[in-house]
Amino acid sequence: MAERIDRMNLNRIVPILNWAAGIMILISLVVIFFYAPVESTMGNVQRIFYFHVGGAWVAAVAFFVALLSGVFYLRKPAKIWDTIAVGSVEIGLVFTSMTIVSGSVWGRPAWLTWWTWSPRLTSITVMWLVYVAYFMLRGAIEDEDRRSRFAAVYVIAGFVTVIITYLSIRLLRDIHPVILGEASETAQGLQEFSGIDSGKMVISLNVSVLTFTVLYLTWLANRLRLQRLLDDAAELKTRVMTRLQQQ
Amino acid sequence: MTEENKLASGNLSYMATVRAIVWKDLTMEWHTGQILSVMLVFSLTAAIIYNFALYGSLAAARDASTGFLWVTILLAGTLGLNRSLMAEQENRSLEAILMAPIDRSAIYVGKVISVIIFTLAMEAILVPIFTAFFNKPFWRPQVLFILILGTIGYVAAGVLITSMTVQTRTREVLLPVLLLPLTLPVVLAAAQVTAAYVAAVPPEWSEVQFAVSLVVAYDIFMVTAGFLTYHYVVEE
Repeated sequence: MAERIDRMNLNRIVPILNWAAGIMILISLVVIFFYAPVESTMGNVQRIFYFHVGGAWVAAVAFFVALLSGVFYLRKPAKIWDTIAVGSVEIGLVFTSMTIVSGSVWGRPAWLTWWTWSPRLTSITVMWLVYVAYFMLRGAIEDEDRRSRFAAVYVIAGFVTVIITYLSIRLLRDIHPVILGEASETAQGLQEFSGIDSGKMVISLNVSVLTFTVLYLTWLANRLRLQRLLDDAAELKTRVMTRLQQQ
Repeated sequence: MTEENKLASGNLSYMATVRAIVWKDLTMEWHTGQILSVMLVFSLTAAIIYNFALYGSLAAARDASTGFLWVTILLAGTLGLNRSLMAEQENRSLEAILMAPIDRSAIYVGKVISVIIFTLAMEAILVPIFTAFFNKPFWRPQVLFILILGTIGYVAAGVLITSMTVQTRTREVLLPVLLLPLTLPVVLAAAQVTAAYVAAVPPEWSEVQFAVSLVVAYDIFMVTAGFLTYHYVVEE
């Protein structure tokens, strides 16, 4: 499988994906702002929901892909897995940041505060920190093989924070409604789909999630192509150097 | 056959390997006292700093004491982990261990157990001190139980991460940056349970059930992850 991804003609795929993502973003903007109905209690501000959930969803997918690439790399070291993991963590971080910022902007009118240390907000901040640290680990190791190996181990261990962020709150709600005072009550508005009261909202949400997924694939393909160009450039450089030394 | 002979002939069972590694660490610590002394002096200093930080209000210090206890364990833990795994790097003793025909995960398990023993020893001294300083019942069995559970998860992640960071350029600097965020979930949950049990009115089981299960789930995840990936960390 690693070889098949390696042989992929990215120069053909990347432009197609770029266009597809661009068009889908336009479509989902139209859907979010014109097709989706105005939410009854929160009004237009609720439209952040589609960006917020879309971003969070793709961040989870990206980190999961990074986890899988880590596992594949450890099973059979191929550079492509490392590149996919790096690209996915980079993109996942962008989407996590987007989720946090959009949630904060939404929190201001909804809870009258930009930030509160509810379990959900705490755990996503921890997750963000864990994946930022991923790049510090990589930066501290010079040997390429060891860097990829350690990064793979770390990305597997780090996934625990994704699980906690995405599942724990739901369990918390089920098992333990007593703890849900003010803070956790507000967290529900963030994470639950209870705000959805019409079929049009469901369709709009699906469109935005699909758009963000395509955007993720587009960025990842661009990232793989970029890495390939970097590798080619490095190889050319060494070839030029040897040629010059021979003369 | 004696244990050494068995080790030499490669016949040592998995558990015996783990025991040999734990024994080696304990013996080293018995002779040098490096790890425990550093952890203890640091944690005592930290406890005094906390008291100073909230000097104006004893009540506030008392309210925050559970947090202080866990922060102390967290930070003193990084010192202990660093010391314990740096010792393997110095004099290239890890290389010598790796020459033995033993399962790499046994090294992980052995290291986790020995660091857990050191951390629990430190906690055994911290608990009476915190009880005295902050006048809260940290000695309650439920508190001790959650201290042990939280320590397992913390050390399981710690040994895995520290084994990597001691092999990097920035070493000690990198460890807290990687380890503290990664272990925050288990520490936050354990601290929440601890706070509930040192309160005047002990909680119902249903109130802490979720946090306790989170700690246990984290322990299982981290021990499994370390167990399965450790040989990629130590192997060349």
